[in-house]
Amino acid sequence: MDCPTCESLVDAYLDGELSAIQSAEFEQALPGCPHCATRLEEARVLSSLLRDLPADTAPDLLRARIDRELRAIGAKARPASPRQSMPRQPMRWMAMAASLIVAVSIGWMGGTLSTQGGRDRDELVASYLRVASSEHTVDVVSSDRHTVKPWFAGRIDYSPPVHDLTSDGFPLLGGRLDVFDGRKVSVLVYRRNQHKVALTLLPASSASGVPVSVTQRDGFVMGQWRHGGFEMRAVSDISPAEMESFASALDRAVDADR
Amino acid sequence: MSDALRPDSGTAERFRTVMLPHLDAAYGFARWLTRDPVQAQDVAQEAMLRALRYFHAFRGGPPKPWLLRIVRNTWHDLRTKRGADESLDVVEDRPADGPDPEENALGADRRRHVAAALAKLPTDLREVLVLREIEDFSYKEIAAALDLPIGTVMSRLARGRQQLAAELRSRLGRRDHGLPDL
Repeated sequence: MDCPTCESLVDAYLDGELSAIQSAEFEQALPGCPHCATRLEEARVLSSLLRDLPADTAPDLLRARIDRELRAIGAKARPASPRQSMPRQPMRWMAMAASLIVAVSIGWMGGTLSTQGGRDRDELVASYLRVASSEHTVDVVSSDRHTVKPWFAGRIDYSPPVHDLTSDGFPLLGGRLDVFDGRKVSVLVYRRNQHKVALTLLPASSASGVPVSVTQRDGFVMGQWRHGGFEMRAVSDISPAEMESFASALDRAVDADR
Repeated sequence: MSDALRPDSGTAERFRTVMLPHLDAAYGFARWLTRDPVQAQDVAQEAMLRALRYFHAFRGGPPKPWLLRIVRNTWHDLRTKRGADESLDVVEDRPADGPDPEENALGADRRRHVAAALAKLPTDLREVLVLREIEDFSYKEIAAALDLPIGTVMSRLARGRQQLAAELRSRLGRRDHGLPDL
């Protein structure tokens, strides 16, 4: 790979837009090209500087105006038109800003997923939104697993693995309780840049692992997998690729703990 | 997008669920486009109302690129309507967004410089960088939001990063920006 070729790939490599094969070729060429190595380092530093900027929050007045507009429409109680085929879910609490939060919740899905995937998914997204839209996103605020893990003892009937993933770019914010499928579950909240991730985690009925599958709907990304005897369900508004790296980071941390 | 419909209550409810969570992003993007908090509020409000009127045309997929595309078009329209874009040449350092007790003064100062350097970039480079680094959009999503070919997104990102690095080098000392020497 000559320098113009590898220079043209620097940004796409950093942004995770190259295929696995292209990435491998780029990584192979990089040590032989100090110019591109410098450009990559520069782009990395810039990326972290930009992602470190404080997130903008819509002014209360703007939010109130939009909210008033939406309520005015609802108050007219016009019948839904035929194209309105989606079920209406009165989730008014979602009006609060959710876009800047990524929350990971850990919850019980054992055995019910194949038949009730849609409803379970809605419950998990709702759980994520509770984390993402509330100022009180977590019941126990700590990046220290030795604080979070004991907090769950006595509140739920199992002991979820709690790991801080800061070194993988997902610092642990804390944990909270939620209800999933009629059962109290533990939800861990992680942060990814300006986003939150909610991870619901429950004991699995089988010890065998299931690799992560990532799906998208309505702008939410959901990762579901089984690892180390636990069912993992993570919901966020990060990218699918980031969800995959979240899953593998968590799996590595769980494995290292055994 | 020519057929705006009067939204009904079901549409409003679904809009609340799907689009309203991205209000902060809409405002933030408008702020980076206008570089002015008051204009940003106007743009974001008009864009949200437009998005509501055209929400029946939303075909699923990620809602944020769809919404931010409307923000950008709205900004463009309002700017054209107002005539000359007087704000374009008047780039002021963005004021700090409120107190930031967690960070020391050095970090706050560095962020101010980073924000000011980004605000100084030409719009076509700035909007691509904002969507990539602040909204964390994929190239495909950026292309959709800005109505550009992916190749153009890539070349603008590369140019934007290089210009931003140059601007930061001239603003900050080596220790503060952490950028490698060229």
